[in-house]
Amino acid sequence: MASTTPDRSHTRGYVIAGVLTALMVVGTLLLLRNITDVAGHPLNTLRPLGDQARKIDDLVVPVFAVAGIVFVLVEGGVIFLIARFRRRSDDADGEGDPVQIHGNSSLEWAWTAVPALILAVIAAFNVAAIWDLEGDAQNAEMNVEVVGQQWWWEFRYDTNEDGKPDVITANQLVIPADTTVGVNIRSNDVIHSFWIPTLNGKRDAVPGRVHKIALHADKPGIYEGQCTEYCGLSHGYMRMQVKALTKADYEKWLDNQLDGPVEPKADTPAAEGKAIFNTKCASCHQIDGYDTSGAPTASGEPDPEYGGADHPLVSGNAPNLTHLMSRDHFAGGMFPLYDSYDEGAARTSAMPSGDPSQGELGDWLRDPPGKKPMASDRARGMPNLNLSEDEIDKLVAYLTTLK
Amino acid sequence: MTDVVTAEEAEDTAQLGGVAEPHTPGPEDSHGIHSGHHTNTGISNEKLAMWLFLGSECLLFGGLISTYLLYKNRPGALIFKDASEGARAGSPVRISELFDIPFTSVSSFVLLASSLTMVFAVTAAARNEQSRLRLWLGATAGLGAVFIGGQVYEFTTFVREGLGYTSNVSSSAFYTLTGFHGVHVTLGILMLLSCLALTYRARRPPAEAIEIVGLYWHFVDVIWIVIFTVIYLIP
Amino acid sequence: MALIEARTPAELSPPPQQTKQLGIFARPVETTGWKSWLFTVDHKKVGILYGVASMFFFVVGGSEALLIRTQLARPGGKLLSAALYNQVFTMHGITLVFLVVMPMMAALANFLLPLQIGARDVAFPRLNAFSFWCYLFGGLFLNSAWFLGGGADGGWFNYAPNSSVTFSPGHGIDFYALGLLIAGIASTVSAVNLIITVINMRAPGMTWMRLPVFTWMTLVTQFLLVFSLPVITVALFLLMFDRLFGSNFFNASLGGDPLLWQHLFWIFGHPEVYIMILPAFGITSELIPTFSRKPIFGYPFMVASGIAIGFMGFGVWAHHMFASGMGPVAVTAFSVSTMFIAVPTGVKILNWLATVYGGRLRMTTSMCFALGLVSMFTIGGLSGVTHALAPADTQQTDTYYIVAHFHYVLFGGSIFGVLGGYYFWWPKFFGHMLDEKIGKWHFWLTLIGMNLTFGPMHMLGLQGMSRRIFSYSDGQGFDLWNLVATIGAFTIAVSLLVFFYNCWVSYRRHKANPQDPGPDPWDARSLEWSVPSPVPEHNFDEIPQIEEFDDFWHRKYGHDENGRPVKIADAADVAQKGDATGVHLPSPSYWPIVLAAGLPFIAYGLIFNLVWAAIGALLVIVSIWGWVIEPSTAPHAEHPGEQQHEPEPEGDGGETATTAGELEEATVD
Repeated sequence: MASTTPDRSHTRGYVIAGVLTALMVVGTLLLLRNITDVAGHPLNTLRPLGDQARKIDDLVVPVFAVAGIVFVLVEGGVIFLIARFRRRSDDADGEGDPVQIHGNSSLEWAWTAVPALILAVIAAFNVAAIWDLEGDAQNAEMNVEVVGQQWWWEFRYDTNEDGKPDVITANQLVIPADTTVGVNIRSNDVIHSFWIPTLNGKRDAVPGRVHKIALHADKPGIYEGQCTEYCGLSHGYMRMQVKALTKADYEKWLDNQLDGPVEPKADTPAAEGKAIFNTKCASCHQIDGYDTSGAPTASGEPDPEYGGADHPLVSGNAPNLTHLMSRDHFAGGMFPLYDSYDEGAARTSAMPSGDPSQGELGDWLRDPPGKKPMASDRARGMPNLNLSEDEIDKLVAYLTTLK
Repeated sequence: MTDVVTAEEAEDTAQLGGVAEPHTPGPEDSHGIHSGHHTNTGISNEKLAMWLFLGSECLLFGGLISTYLLYKNRPGALIFKDASEGARAGSPVRISELFDIPFTSVSSFVLLASSLTMVFAVTAAARNEQSRLRLWLGATAGLGAVFIGGQVYEFTTFVREGLGYTSNVSSSAFYTLTGFHGVHVTLGILMLLSCLALTYRARRPPAEAIEIVGLYWHFVDVIWIVIFTVIYLIP
Repeated sequence: MALIEARTPAELSPPPQQTKQLGIFARPVETTGWKSWLFTVDHKKVGILYGVASMFFFVVGGSEALLIRTQLARPGGKLLSAALYNQVFTMHGITLVFLVVMPMMAALANFLLPLQIGARDVAFPRLNAFSFWCYLFGGLFLNSAWFLGGGADGGWFNYAPNSSVTFSPGHGIDFYALGLLIAGIASTVSAVNLIITVINMRAPGMTWMRLPVFTWMTLVTQFLLVFSLPVITVALFLLMFDRLFGSNFFNASLGGDPLLWQHLFWIFGHPEVYIMILPAFGITSELIPTFSRKPIFGYPFMVASGIAIGFMGFGVWAHHMFASGMGPVAVTAFSVSTMFIAVPTGVKILNWLATVYGGRLRMTTSMCFALGLVSMFTIGGLSGVTHALAPADTQQTDTYYIVAHFHYVLFGGSIFGVLGGYYFWWPKFFGHMLDEKIGKWHFWLTLIGMNLTFGPMHMLGLQGMSRRIFSYSDGQGFDLWNLVATIGAFTIAVSLLVFFYNCWVSYRRHKANPQDPGPDPWDARSLEWSVPSPVPEHNFDEIPQIEEFDDFWHRKYGHDENGRPVKIADAADVAQKGDATGVHLPSPSYWPIVLAAGLPFIAYGLIFNLVWAAIGALLVIVSIWGWVIEPSTAPHAEHPGEQQHEPEPEGDGGETATTAGELEEATVD
């Protein structure tokens, strides 16, 4: 103890320091409550709803606790040191100058070794978790291909395992609940990152590579996601969802997807819409049964991986719309397809039904780049096709039939 | 990086310019900013700076060599011989099949020999033997130029055989790595010629500067041995 | 170059008039006025130039931050378009990293390193000036992209292939690559210069274990620069070749690998993190002992932990890539190595607290910032440990949690350190103190502002808000904390205005009523306080002989039997007077600024029209030629003080502190 004048005036400092430290602790705890508050935070990373996210959560929460203790000790320490050792205005110069301590090696070795030991323990759990999660991905019960592109996600299912996708959807990945699903993540242009925080951590979609992670949703439900590697202009509006269904519902969903598209009745606006679709939309968007082989890539060359006569189901540069209305959102998970859902056919059922959101689709067709930033001049995203209001109405009529 | 080389070179030669300085060492020298040439390490600032710079250069070439190693066996590392005569004419070959190892070995030997002549030049400078110094400096620069000539010949041959800079990633990596080295040798030749010119300006050779240029020259040679091994000798 | 005068034996010197053949220009001789700044080679002026330029870019980058925060204040912000937002956050990152924090450190390093080791200048004064101009012109070049088609839009990390011509067809990325190459030249040259200065130009007796901690940390930083910059140089060249010549280094469809860019970038990028924080650790290690009136606790541990951080900094780069898909083996290795880099950092925190313990704290503005750094950096360090865990990092990376983490490190660490340093060394720079009362306002506003801004980002990140998104929606639950963060950002802006106001008011007050702060206004410990404020152009009248660590302190204080300090001399008595004359100093030169000016021309030429490159090349060649034939010190240029003095070789020689022989004896290595 250096000061030679331990006197009354420390008391005030101590009180202030104690109050400050207590405020800090209380504040931190309140904030923690706010963090883990689940309602209204669909992307919350601290609300695991699947096995993998739970493993991560179990690893990190104790580390947060250790970090919290260190935080309070250091910050409280700083405040107390200031309260205890500050020079007050009535102190004379040179009075009570401290003993000149140059160090204490055993103490310093101790505070080198103790954190190192704590970290070594954490590291052991860390390494175990890394390999555990890796094992989950390798032992998946079924697999889905996930392909990122500017600025939406495509999902390909190969149900008969012939190496060619049989079902192609976009923006909403449908999986059976309580099943470990392996997700093979690929990219068609730049790097994206596939991230459903409530189910698992993120993994980048890197062109030329396939990365695999596991998803295992505890219960049926909708789990929100966001592309989380910066991927250019509309990165902020590149979202996706996972919809987990009961196994029975999943089979129902799959059967519907394997069916061909709904054919509109003749002489309805929808039938006229289909004709407009064939002339104006089908060069990029696919509805099963139309072959637009060799759809161009950004470089103008046909992409052998993507589209082409061998893969009649694979979309071109834009989402496959065969069963558009079986999804929840469109345009990179941004805009709702339904204004409201029918009773009993909620969002999490195999086939949502309800009041289609005509306005959103119509707005979109009127000026896509105005609704979501896109670089359509470089074949990245949908251009404004300058459709007439009549065409828009008929197209919407057609599209909303595509259950 | 090449610009850095230029700056360094300027610095090296800057002190050559100092040869022309009429300053007489006197008591006030220890009063000057550098307190004489006695540095803490006993090694001059310039020489130490060159060592440090060469350390930095190691990382530069390390990055380029890693890039080459990563890309040399990439799928698509095939080229079509004589592509200039019609699209994708000829049969596909690996880049390594284009290498003329005897030719490159000879030019590598030439570059190695220039290290020897550089040693002679440094010795001559230390012994204040002006005419020998000029001979060896000239010889070193000449051998370096022969090496560069060989590299130019090699590049043009490859291009004629269809291996352009953008043919595939391994050709890009190959040209980038050897090209960076070639630029380094060329800058070295310029430094050597500057030293040669300076021997005509002062009565005594700029021994320190020549030693520093020598360091750089030996480094460029050693790097070439690594590059030669990595590119031509390891299959 | 600076050694010329001594190295050249007399008998070899050509006739004196030869040095006058310097070409058509007479050498600049100004010691005051704007020309003295443009052509200066004085490390102190160069340091101040760095400080002013970095403050300018701080305002630029800070304004970009305000744009970002305004856009994100509410969901669906419409202030910036997505395209503009992407440019703004990219340029904010590049500006703050390369044009603000690094040069702020360079400002202090340039100004202080020679003073702290007892030297009269850096090893290569002209190269030093060149480094500064190179940095300034590189920075202006980078920002000129705003007026020439838009800034870079790939993020500061600029991941391939989003940086290719296909996906970013404008010139922004070209400006990025070339601008960073120019800035890289500046940093490399400066780093070599400072390393040689510390290795070779320490005063007699200034052994390695007597170097101030700031000097040590800056030295480690310069080594990191020398060995990490060439790696990003390679990456930037490959990027340029992809964009200019059509190679496919990062194009996966033609055999390239986008992850190569990531590895090369982060092999540079992670040491870069320590490049930005280690000097701030050094500053804090100067401030805390001074204002606690105790020596730094565990000097050897402080030095060793700094060196350990430097070494380990090269072995953890891939922790930026845990989500990139490197495979579990690499993830395991880098995850574990990253966790242990927390150990030396923790040692530093605890040693600072141990220094404070038992001290007699003077809570000046500098000390507030220093203890602020300890508190804020601790938060950044702890959040860092949570994402050293690779699985946790896959939830946290690329979210605002990471943004919070590195702003606590960079703002709460680097910027706090520099601001504390400015308040501390201001009298050394300008000969007057900054106002302490306004300083306290500045500190509290900065502290509150930064916690309001970056604290909520922890919450946002953990609640799932991604980085680099130009907008978010209602219902994602990000509204409240974004609003708080925006309020915080404007608080920081106000705090910066308060700082500028303080600079201005203090200057005016000093002008109206000059008060000499004396050589040692803080009762400090290291060598720079043994010379007058502001520091005279020649630094030291005589090069001091160093006897121990904190030599200057020990000239002022002995200690009693209990180990408490006892004053034995007044600072004014042991400090130097700064009135020496006839000191040989390197002379100003045109060539550093001209040579540096050539580089942006070459860069513009590569982007727009090769004619510009030809002009730039001409400038470079002419200035190298001029540089080469110009001796570093003009003949008989004496100490350019207020008065012209005739050199008095005999008389001056007698006063000098050291002969070469003494110097050799005194050095340990």
